[in-house]
Amino acid sequence: MATAAVCPECGHQQPPALVCAACGVVQEPPPSLDLFAAVGLPRRLQVDAAELERRFYELSRQVHPDRFGTAPAPAQAASLAATALLNRAYKVLRDPVQRGRYWLELHGEALADESRSVPREIAATVFEVQERLAELREAGAEQHELLRPALQDDLRRLDERRAACSQRLDELFQTAAPPPDRLKALLAEIAYLTTLARNVQAGLDVERHES
Amino acid sequence: MSPDPDPPTPMDRIFGIDLGTTNSLIGYMDDDGPRVVRDPDSGSALLPSVVSFLDAERWVVGADARRRAAAHPLQTLASVKRFMGVGHEHVSDEDRLHYAFAPQGNPVRFRVHGRDWSPVEVSALILEALKERVRKATGDQVRRAVITVPAYFNDSQRQATRDAGRLAGLEVLRLLNEPTAASLAYGLERREEATIAVYDFGGGTFDLSLLKLRQGIFEVIATSGDTRLGGDDLDQRLARLLLEQLPEPLRDLPEVRRQALEEAERAKVRLTEQDQTVMELRAAQHGVALRRPLSRTELEALVLDIVDRTFAPCRRALEDAGLRPEQIDEVVLVGGSTRVPLVRRRVQEFFGRAPHTELNPDEVVAMGAAVQAGVLSGRRVDTLLLDVVPLSLGIESVGGVFERIIDRNTTIPAISRQIFTTFVDNQTAVDFHVLQGERELVADNRSLARFKLRGLEPQPAGMPRLEVTFMVDANGILNVTARDLKSGHEQSVDVKPSYGLTDDEVERMLESSFDHAEEDVAARLLIEARKEAESILRVTRKALEQATADERTAIEPAIATLEARLGDTDHNRIRDAVEALNQASLGLAQRLMDTSIAAALQSKRVEEV
Repeated sequence: MATAAVCPECGHQQPPALVCAACGVVQEPPPSLDLFAAVGLPRRLQVDAAELERRFYELSRQVHPDRFGTAPAPAQAASLAATALLNRAYKVLRDPVQRGRYWLELHGEALADESRSVPREIAATVFEVQERLAELREAGAEQHELLRPALQDDLRRLDERRAACSQRLDELFQTAAPPPDRLKALLAEIAYLTTLARNVQAGLDVERHES
Repeated sequence: MSPDPDPPTPMDRIFGIDLGTTNSLIGYMDDDGPRVVRDPDSGSALLPSVVSFLDAERWVVGADARRRAAAHPLQTLASVKRFMGVGHEHVSDEDRLHYAFAPQGNPVRFRVHGRDWSPVEVSALILEALKERVRKATGDQVRRAVITVPAYFNDSQRQATRDAGRLAGLEVLRLLNEPTAASLAYGLERREEATIAVYDFGGGTFDLSLLKLRQGIFEVIATSGDTRLGGDDLDQRLARLLLEQLPEPLRDLPEVRRQALEEAERAKVRLTEQDQTVMELRAAQHGVALRRPLSRTELEALVLDIVDRTFAPCRRALEDAGLRPEQIDEVVLVGGSTRVPLVRRRVQEFFGRAPHTELNPDEVVAMGAAVQAGVLSGRRVDTLLLDVVPLSLGIESVGGVFERIIDRNTTIPAISRQIFTTFVDNQTAVDFHVLQGERELVADNRSLARFKLRGLEPQPAGMPRLEVTFMVDANGILNVTARDLKSGHEQSVDVKPSYGLTDDEVERMLESSFDHAEEDVAARLLIEARKEAESILRVTRKALEQATADERTAIEPAIATLEARLGDTDHNRIRDAVEALNQASLGLAQRLMDTSIAAALQSKRVEEV
């Protein structure tokens, strides 16, 4: 557990948090406050979405700048910093992929440029799809109609594969001590699939706008 | 009546302001809920967002300004909001027909009577007029306010709006997105849970916002829009119907174009109630008189493609939110353009449910702004808005690639940091270019500011670690700071807004007084009204020689009324009589225009111009 923080308002000591448990005053978030602690959740990969949302709304009611519309500047500044952190915590923690990456980061296992190297498991699919995309870019308008169905099919397969990965990620989150290497491999694959699916979608969109 | 234990003094009151493209409104919260302030004389809640300049020192705002538009098109500025925070490159050819721009320099400035006015200054004049209305109606001094902006306004446009507030002597406590404001006005928080779409089709802008409502918290989950799509586009389409009936030189006269636009707008409004109308264009001084019948069916066929352009942003927002149209529980309509039956029908078809229309779409944003003013002053604790950044924010990186630092639809306030480094050995300064937009390349996005980080220790390329922090506050306004992590101390960053005013400029403008004598203005308006009256009397008397007996019976009483009012001191009474005479003589004028006499008159008039 992180070291205790002291509330500048009432002197209460508590683990780092957005709001003082004793006097309710919004705290300027200390650097040691991680995103799990910001929403008052244990540092675990498995997060109950409904519970996260409930805490996000409850804390928003306490710390949001609208609650300090006419307050003195220091209170407004604390509210701004606390709310920005709260918003980031909600954004990162509600998305399993972002949460997984953040969790690795907290454990000193940063992922470097994983979206740029092709994960081995999907190498064949990736090259096939890339080739079709290149073909589409070079093709004349009349050939587009011929290439479309195959790319739409690719998009469907990529989405299915991503869904399967997400499923595996969820299962991994539930294990007591997820091995960082497996987590990294899975996150890298999801990141790659996401980028590729976006490229295919963009290719199909461009073609639609031009026709 | 029991005394209020803590009565809010007028000084404490926070006002909600809808600074609109076409009309502006001001409201506040009292014990009964939000209310808009009406003009004590006319009873209208709407202040036309129009400023008309009598000369370099004097101007009128609102209905008086709007009335001067036809006779003084280039001295009268309407829809100025469309130019807030934009540069010359965003001004269209069509715009150049309606406004006289100062030739160079950003932000865009209007040149009127030899003096240049930025959109921020003109907007400040409108805000001053709203303050004055409150003073007249309630005696209150407006000092603190919430001002609404289109959700899709970028950082430059937001800064410009805040500067306008400052310039008008207001403490702007919050910039509030218009669609979000509208959802507050409807009191939807009484529902436990709902997904809400706010379809905001105003005079010059279109916004679509999707919100999730949970126990009084309105969370914006996606927003999208088009800052250059609005009811004005419908008017221009209709005005073209009138103008294409005129010969080339007449068609391009600013007065004629302006009048055609105004009539187009009125016809559009009439066709919300009626199935048929006749557009009438009358510019006596140029010998122009036209009638063009128009049915609602024809109108709808003519503007369908414009209306349907609103659904591209709708689809984008739904996609961002991961929602399908049928998952929307409530659809709220905002903006005057949503009165058009075609718009309502298409919205209903798109979302598959009837939209809310209970509140006046012109007033709903101001009422929401008043509710938010109540939230900020602590009068409303059950309601909270969680809004988002409408467009991604980032920095230019190697090769002109846009590096996102804050993604669009991120809940605000938001803080995000990124580490950058140098490309050249021994660099002691780095240039940063801040942008907003969704495109991959810098050139396709909106430039917000440039700044230089100085005083770096000379090091090999790639060694320095420069931390750039983007902070978007609850107003959606961006603050950028940069820090050299090596030396540890923060560098002061000099941000020059690309299309805004610098703080110095705002300060300077604040110092130069805005005061002008009201009687002076009234006198000037009176002179103009009399001049216009005399001109129309002269033209009509001449035309009367060729009138039929029936036409004479219709016109002569109107002439008599106007003659009788020439000595009046109220310019509005003279204007009303001018308008009545215009109406009465329209049939005759048009008949004459169709003859060769009118044609001769026309060519002579054109030479005179």
